[in-house]
Amino acid sequence: MTHRQAVGRYDWNQYRTEIEYGLSDDFQIGAYLNAFSIRAQDNYLSDEVCATTPCTAGFGVPGTASSGGAYRRSGIDGASLEAIWRISNPVTSPVGVGLYVEPTWGKLEDSLEFRLLLQSNFLDDRLVLAANALVEMEREKYDPANGIIRNSMADLLYGASYRFAPRWSAGFEGRLHTDHDGYRFEQHTQTANFIGPNVHYSAERWWLTAAWRHQVGGSCYGGGTADCSLGHVWDSHGRDQIMLKVGYLLN
Amino acid sequence: MQWFPAGSALPLAALGAALAPVAAQARIYVSVEQAQREMFGALALTPHPVALTAAQQEVLRAASSVSLPFQGNRIWKTADGSWFVVDEVVGKHEFVTYAVGINADGSVRRVEVLEYRESYGYEVAEQKWLAQFVGKTVEAPLQLGRDVQNIGGATLSAKHVADGVKRVLAAYRLVLQAR
Repeated sequence: MTHRQAVGRYDWNQYRTEIEYGLSDDFQIGAYLNAFSIRAQDNYLSDEVCATTPCTAGFGVPGTASSGGAYRRSGIDGASLEAIWRISNPVTSPVGVGLYVEPTWGKLEDSLEFRLLLQSNFLDDRLVLAANALVEMEREKYDPANGIIRNSMADLLYGASYRFAPRWSAGFEGRLHTDHDGYRFEQHTQTANFIGPNVHYSAERWWLTAAWRHQVGGSCYGGGTADCSLGHVWDSHGRDQIMLKVGYLLN
Repeated sequence: MQWFPAGSALPLAALGAALAPVAAQARIYVSVEQAQREMFGALALTPHPVALTAAQQEVLRAASSVSLPFQGNRIWKTADGSWFVVDEVVGKHEFVTYAVGINADGSVRRVEVLEYRESYGYEVAEQKWLAQFVGKTVEAPLQLGRDVQNIGGATLSAKHVADGVKRVLAAYRLVLQAR
C-alpha cells in the first residue's frame, strides 16, 4: 500500500495472491494474480503536471483526471510469474546467493524484474542480514492519452531481522530507489530513500510479515521535476509504503 | 525460500513403538524418561548437573558454533560411566530439544529428538537420520554435507541439531569425561 503524497489524498494499493512451489531444494517457481485500487484527489503540487495546484495525478491516474477532483479505480490488474534459483544457502554458506526473475503483465503496466538476492545469517541464524539488488524494465500504459511510457528502475533493498523470541522476528528494512527513462537506464529521473521497521510471526503452517517504509527524501533529475515536490518523489511513490504478507503452507 | 515441499510424511514409525511418541499438528514429544529407557534400558541414571564458567561456555561456542549458552542442569550419569545429556538448539521457528546418550568411551550411543514443533523437516527426528551420529566422538567434524547428511527443506534444523550434538560431545570432553 502506497499512501500519502504532497497534499490531498493518494492511495495506490496492490493486492497480490501468489502460489509457490519448490521444484527442487534450490529452485522454486511461483505465479501471482494481481489486483489493485487507486484513490487520488488533489495530491500533486508540481505545476509541470497541474494547470492549477494542487491537482490529481500520480501512477495509475490518467492525465485527463488531473483537474477532475477525486479519481478512483480498482479491479484485476493482471498476472506475474516468478522463478528463484538458490545458488548458495545462507545456513551453510557465509553468504546465501539467489537469482530472481519476475515478468508481469498488467492493465496498468507490464514489467520484467530481476534480482540478485544476498543473505547472511548470524547468532544461530537468529540474526539475518539481507540485500536485494533489483533492476526492472517497465512499460506503463495506464494513460492512453499519453501512450506507452518506457521506464527502468534500479533499487537496493536491504534489511536486518532478529528472532527475539520463538516465532517472532523484528528489524528494519530500507530501499534506495532510482527511476530512469527508457528500458536501458537512458536518463536518470528520480532517486528516493525509504526506511522503516518490520515484524514477522511464524506459526506452524502460516506466517505473517508486516513492514512499513517511510520515504525520508527524494530528488528528481534530468531537467524534469514533474514528480517531485517538498523534497520527496511522488509518481508511484508515497510518503509511506506499508506491506502486509500472509503465507500458508499447503503441503 | 520457505515453501519447499515437506518431503516424506511424519516419521512416527521410525521413532519406534517403544517410545510411543505423540505427534499432533507438527509436534513430536518424547519424554526424558522415555528417551533414557530407550538408550539405557534398566540402567540407573543419576542426575549430575554441572555449572560452566564463561570461559567454558566460550570453548563450547567455538567448538560447535552454537551461540546460546549450554544449560548444564539436564545431565545424568550411569554407574558404568555413560552419560545422558538433554540440550536444545534453535529451530526454524521454535527450539528443538534433543537428548544425546554418550558411552563411557566418549562416543555417541544414540541421539533422540524430544521436541520438534516445526511444520516440516521431521526427518531430523527420525532414527534413520539420527543414526548417523552413533559412534561419533568429539573429534568428528559433524558438519552438514561432510559427515552429516543434509535434509532438503530442513537445512537449518539439520545443521543446528548436528551443531548441538557437537556441543554436547565438546561438553563431555571439557567437563564430564574427568568426573
